[in-house]
Amino acid sequence: MRIVVCVKQVPGTHDAKIDPETKRIIREGIKVVINPFDTYAIEAAVQIKEKIGGEVIVLSMGPSRAVTVLREGITVGADRGILLSDRAFGGSDTWATSYALSRAIETIGDVDLVICGKQAIDGDTAQVGPGIAAHLSWPQATYVMDIADINSGSLTAQRMHEDGWDLCLVKLPAVITVVKDINQPRVPTLKGRLAAEKQEIPIWKAADIEADPELLGLNGSPTRVVKTNPPQGRTKKSVVLDGPVEQSVRRLVQELRQRSLV
Amino acid sequence: MKQHLLTSAYHVEILPPKQETEKLYEDLDRFSSKFERVMESGYCACITDNAMGNLAFQGTELIEELELDPGRNQVMIHLNTFHTKADLHRILDSCKAAGIRQLLVITGDGSDRLPRLTPAEVGAEGVEAVTSVELLRYIAKTYPGDFDLGVAFNPYEPEDHEFAKLDRKIAAGATFAITQPIIERHPVVDKLLERYPDLPVVVEAWMSKKISLLSEAVGYEIPEDTPYDPIENLKTLHRNYPQCEIYLSILGFKTQYPLLEEIRN
Repeated sequence: MRIVVCVKQVPGTHDAKIDPETKRIIREGIKVVINPFDTYAIEAAVQIKEKIGGEVIVLSMGPSRAVTVLREGITVGADRGILLSDRAFGGSDTWATSYALSRAIETIGDVDLVICGKQAIDGDTAQVGPGIAAHLSWPQATYVMDIADINSGSLTAQRMHEDGWDLCLVKLPAVITVVKDINQPRVPTLKGRLAAEKQEIPIWKAADIEADPELLGLNGSPTRVVKTNPPQGRTKKSVVLDGPVEQSVRRLVQELRQRSLV
Repeated sequence: MKQHLLTSAYHVEILPPKQETEKLYEDLDRFSSKFERVMESGYCACITDNAMGNLAFQGTELIEELELDPGRNQVMIHLNTFHTKADLHRILDSCKAAGIRQLLVITGDGSDRLPRLTPAEVGAEGVEAVTSVELLRYIAKTYPGDFDLGVAFNPYEPEDHEFAKLDRKIAAGATFAITQPIIERHPVVDKLLERYPDLPVVVEAWMSKKISLLSEAVGYEIPEDTPYDPIENLKTLHRNYPQCEIYLSILGFKTQYPLLEEIRN
């Protein structure tokens, strides 16, 4: 089974600045990290590979420094990484981005499954996964919290929603997006990191994926960012333990013990 | 353990490279040279475990991958509760294979990216979460006699509570204790030495000039401009606690390290 995991490099800070002209996040000079939801997508893919065999490819679109998130994926079990990086991709909204990623997936070829994190923590749109499925005309299952079964032709997934979950049978090839509940990503090892450092990461340009230039960048983006505000910093919060006294005390003791305070 | 404490001069904390580093090879070189310097001095290298919840490489994998010689009982591995059971056993087995006996068992600081041992995984009953006590008990039971198990002792916590916790830790298998950073002298450490005369105690010396960084550890705000001379404090700790080994945190390897031998003598 060939699995592509789409990953994104995002600001690892709450102090992100917004460019007043472009209304986009200024990414230069700030700490960047792999989108946390994508780590669950990688783990899901690696677990499938370990269970039924195959290959896991991490794919990203971004500036050249985004190779670091691909190496993170390889560190924890992906076999290789591919970066889409070209001026032609600049200014792409989620629709143009998912078009470029879908072209890369077709160029890779013989892909059975695409896994994305449910959303990126910078844009918070949750649109790229479904967008890839739309461009490829593949079935999709979003907010997957468990993959109950998978074989060469289909997968059975639990989809989380507000009132519980749905059990879905999805024919492959397909796109899924995953939530945190799906697994606990493994902690990277030094051995894995050293192996990842040695791997060549190919950088593909628009021509390499035979993308239509009219569908990329601002030309291919039906949406425009009108205004963006940085997120508010996290503040300390109070928790009210209501309910029966005995139950509240148990919860309080549990919280204190977890913080090693008692 | 007692024998080790009498022969190994200083416990030198070494922070392993962070997972997020973009200068991996540089950081690995720096780690290696610090480690080898500590080994050459005959001191004990103490390698932290995802300190403050920041993901870093494990001490045992660094020793293996970098082919470092852990010397004769000259390495202490910090071990907290934020691991999978499989990773915990990998670390313990690696320690055993490398002849590393000293473990500092702590509850630790978690993060979203770190798993945590569950009570069922370490055979703990009647508890909601695994703390250093449950982890100690599990290691002592699963690897009988293989390790010297150290624990943290915090004199800045309410005294009765901290001594009760220490009793639970000793009952679970702890054989030595390391204090939080001590400035000159602390009455609760004096009580600790008095009440537990057979328990080897290692006193921590804060080697950074920025003493305000200790605010969280001591539980009150230390102003940023508070003057502090770590070398003088180290000398004072030697005078006040001659029976204790000293744990050096945030040690400057360029300027402070060359002074250690002289201070000790």
